[in-house]
Amino acid sequence: MEDSLIEALKMAVGARYLVLDPMALLTYCCDGYTLAEESPRAVVLPATVEEVQAVVKILSAANIPFLARGAGTSLSGGATPLNGSVIIHLSRMNKICEIDVENRVVVVEPGVVNVHITRALEPYGYYYAPDPSSQQACTIGGNFAENSGGPHCLKYGVTVNHILMAEVVTGAGEVVRIGNLAGEPEGPDLLGLVIGSEGTLLVATKLWLRMTPKPQDSQTVLALFDEVGEASQAVSDIVAAGVIPAALEMMDQLAIYAVERGAYPVGYPPGLAAVLLIEVDGEAHEVPAVAEDVHTVLSAHQVREVKMAATPEEKARWWANRKTAFGAMGLISRQYYVQDGVIPRSRLPEALSRIAEIGQRYDIQIANVFHAGDGNLHPLLLYDERDSDLVERVIAAGSEILEACVQLGGSITGEHGVGIEKREDMRRQFNDTELSAQYAVKDAFDPPGLLNQGKLLPSAPTCFEAKPAPVQSS
Amino acid sequence: MEIDTGQCVHCGLCLPACPTYVETGLEAESPRGRVLLLERLEENPELMNDAAAMFLDDCLGCRACEEVCPAHVPTAHMVEEWRAKEAYWPDEVGPEGFAVFRRISGPLSFFFGSARGLAWFQRLVRWSHWPVIGQWVSHLRFVPESARTLSEGLPHRVPKSLSRIRRGNPPAAPTDKAMLFVGCIMDTIYAETNHHTQDLLQLGEVEVVVPQRQRCCGALHKHGGAPEVARRWAQENIMAFEESGASTVVVNAAGCGAMMKEYSNLFEKEDPWYARACRLEEAVVDATAYLASLPLPDGAPQGAEITVHDPCHLAHGQGIRQEPRQLLKRAGYHIQEMPDSDLCCGSAGIYNLTHPAMAQSLQKRKVESVPEGIGQVAAANPGCLMHIQAGLRKQSGTVEAVHPVDLVWEAYHRQGVV
Ligand SMILES: Cc1cc2nc3c(=O)[nH]c(=O)nc-3n(C[C@H](O)[C@H](O)[C@H](O)COP(=O)(O)OP(=O)(O)OC[C@H]3O[C@@H](n4cnc5c(N)ncnc54)[C@H](O)[C@@H]3O)c2cc1C
Ligand code: SF4
Ligand code: SF4
Repeated sequence: MEDSLIEALKMAVGARYLVLDPMALLTYCCDGYTLAEESPRAVVLPATVEEVQAVVKILSAANIPFLARGAGTSLSGGATPLNGSVIIHLSRMNKICEIDVENRVVVVEPGVVNVHITRALEPYGYYYAPDPSSQQACTIGGNFAENSGGPHCLKYGVTVNHILMAEVVTGAGEVVRIGNLAGEPEGPDLLGLVIGSEGTLLVATKLWLRMTPKPQDSQTVLALFDEVGEASQAVSDIVAAGVIPAALEMMDQLAIYAVERGAYPVGYPPGLAAVLLIEVDGEAHEVPAVAEDVHTVLSAHQVREVKMAATPEEKARWWANRKTAFGAMGLISRQYYVQDGVIPRSRLPEALSRIAEIGQRYDIQIANVFHAGDGNLHPLLLYDERDSDLVERVIAAGSEILEACVQLGGSITGEHGVGIEKREDMRRQFNDTELSAQYAVKDAFDPPGLLNQGKLLPSAPTCFEAKPAPVQSS
Repeated sequence: MEIDTGQCVHCGLCLPACPTYVETGLEAESPRGRVLLLERLEENPELMNDAAAMFLDDCLGCRACEEVCPAHVPTAHMVEEWRAKEAYWPDEVGPEGFAVFRRISGPLSFFFGSARGLAWFQRLVRWSHWPVIGQWVSHLRFVPESARTLSEGLPHRVPKSLSRIRRGNPPAAPTDKAMLFVGCIMDTIYAETNHHTQDLLQLGEVEVVVPQRQRCCGALHKHGGAPEVARRWAQENIMAFEESGASTVVVNAAGCGAMMKEYSNLFEKEDPWYARACRLEEAVVDATAYLASLPLPDGAPQGAEITVHDPCHLAHGQGIRQEPRQLLKRAGYHIQEMPDSDLCCGSAGIYNLTHPAMAQSLQKRKVESVPEGIGQVAAANPGCLMHIQAGLRKQSGTVEAVHPVDLVWEAYHRQGVV
């Protein structure tokens, strides 16, 4: 990088917070998706919106690509720098600015860790509802960019349902507020557009979030199955019975094997084919009855055992066990490649057998952990990066699984985003017209195309000659 | 142990647990960053540069990452291995921390290696309270600059003798026989805490033996990168335990306890010492956890509120969090929790000597999170006690850092039980 640029960035954030050492940069070479790697040109760690703005202005004037980074837990390469991008690491912008109990709004900086918000709201009887399994680490800025979901989003909705307003820095370095505290869009729903745009449109610098009252009571029911098909059928039947669980999660045999070796073993009996975890919550008087209903539906299937959590500790352990499933793969395999397809819930048994068939054909071990309630599958394809043939098979199999999801009437990403990983797969889901509309949005927000290059939209748009006129973003 | 970083799936779940990441916000100062550096350096040692050495060496060894990592990646242990390999860099090379460790490791061995050395250490520390001598002591060549700020955390009164004596009131019908591990800093600066531990054990119907042969656990040397010294001292302690005839080894310093629970790592599996180390490991218990399991009486409610700091090597290293709280509550204390009670205070063995800047930032964070109106901060580890106390004195408040055993003893003492 040129000296003058280095000086300008130093002026903007302070010399301490401009990182140029090659080994320091190397640690930023990827996020939770490890199949693509590149060191950034530099990393800056701004502390305020003004500093973010100054950095963006300097970079855009020099025509240098850049991207925001939160905790780097993205599973699709969203936070991996490409084409010599500069990373704007928001780890220092991690303050909870205001808790407005009266209006049920909590105002946070983008680098705040998801679970820290819930912790801060706890004394007031509230929490922040979207709970990605990575919530102990992922940041709200990353959640904003990925429109993250989590086990409890089945009942409470995903990130987009919980952000009221956002302060953002645009690609040109303007500070703009999008949305309003009433939570109703005025005119086109710009906020809905930018949430989930994977850092390709702007950098969020402050977010106004909905506070959700803690349910009076909750109960978790655990069911142990000897057959995956039975478990999938039970999922459909629970929802058909009119129950809206707060969460409905499933793990298969290989996943159970791994989590039982992880940080929070539950002590599942050996030989299980699947477990279902179902949480119901609500008013104190209704929870036991609903839990009973769930119990009844489950017991009508061929199930080895149905249990209710006896203590809060037991419940917490079941969930901690489930939430660390991805990481626990490290105990049974060097690497894993997680897919994130969505299918209609009713086609779950079919989807699972297709995945198993694909795994067999490519000779790959696949563990399944998923948000069964909303049909969001997370097949984990195990591999070892030192075996290049295996790596290729894994990528091909992953792509085939996505194809299967689309064929079953679903989509290629539930919550992990497209990033680098599923860029080309976008063509499976969208036709040229649809893609060209998406390019137009990108172009409206970021005409020079500097923000988070090489993500989300497939390369070389064949249909993009007729470039629509840029629209004002604010 | 071979450094195998293969288990790390790069999920990033460990980031917020890591004090150096929280403090700097830098990926390279996070567990995941360190694992990646180790991995790449293993592949290509040529990549090593000053910055990488610093990022690795900044690791506190607090093990917070190991506790939360779903794949059980032993980051702290891997960094320690790396340090042991790299500490032999020629003088004047490598991070500042290495240089400090090289300078003090000889004197550390002298002072902590024998009872005679410890007595000298205790004397020096006591004299350091007298202005003129204090200045002389602090300018001895091996006393690092950073030790001067640490000395602000010393108790006002440093005992005149080591703690290796038997106290009165042995139980008539003991239910267990325990060896009290006296440690080095505990044996000298906090000798009273050792006495109190003995009293409480006896109150709980346990017979106590205090072998003279025992010595420093060796953790400081192991973490600093001199495992051979640690190995020698471990052997001494194993022999002391075997001769004592005790079935339990009670350790009231979290750092020593965590170290002794891993003594077998110091020996090859074929080495006869390995099995002996394993037997000691099984006998080691933390004093607060052990006391919490004994039939101690319910104490009268204490007036002032206290808060609890969870030493890394107790919470992350040994998984002990509830027991000290149970013990304190039973003695009558009311606990108001502090946020991030298990975030490292920056003491981390001799880290506060080798990495003063990071240690002080973390110290500041720690004392700032002590809730208003608290009289005492309980911390079951001598390093934390001294470091937090130094921080509290800087704040010029009246809050004291106290070992939970001392708090419990005082509560019972006021009621005439001990
Ligand atoms: C073990 C594990 C479990 C997971 N479980 C789930 C789950 O259940 N549900 C789910 O939805 N996801 C899950 N994820 C994926 C990931 O945690 C989420 O996508 C999360 O939102 C990413 O947050 P982050 O702070 O790590 O963002 P990063 O990974 O740092 O960044 C992700 C993207 O967001 C952009 N970005 C970050 N901050 C900003 C900002 N302030 N402004 C604009 N763009 C920004 C980045 O440029 C990048 O494109 C999981 C990941 C792991 C490792
Ligand atoms: S060390 Fe563990 S928690 Fe941290 S990134 Fe690696 S696997 Fe995840
Ligand atoms: S041991 Fe502590 S300081 Fe070192 S990487 Fe782990 S959490 Fe960070």
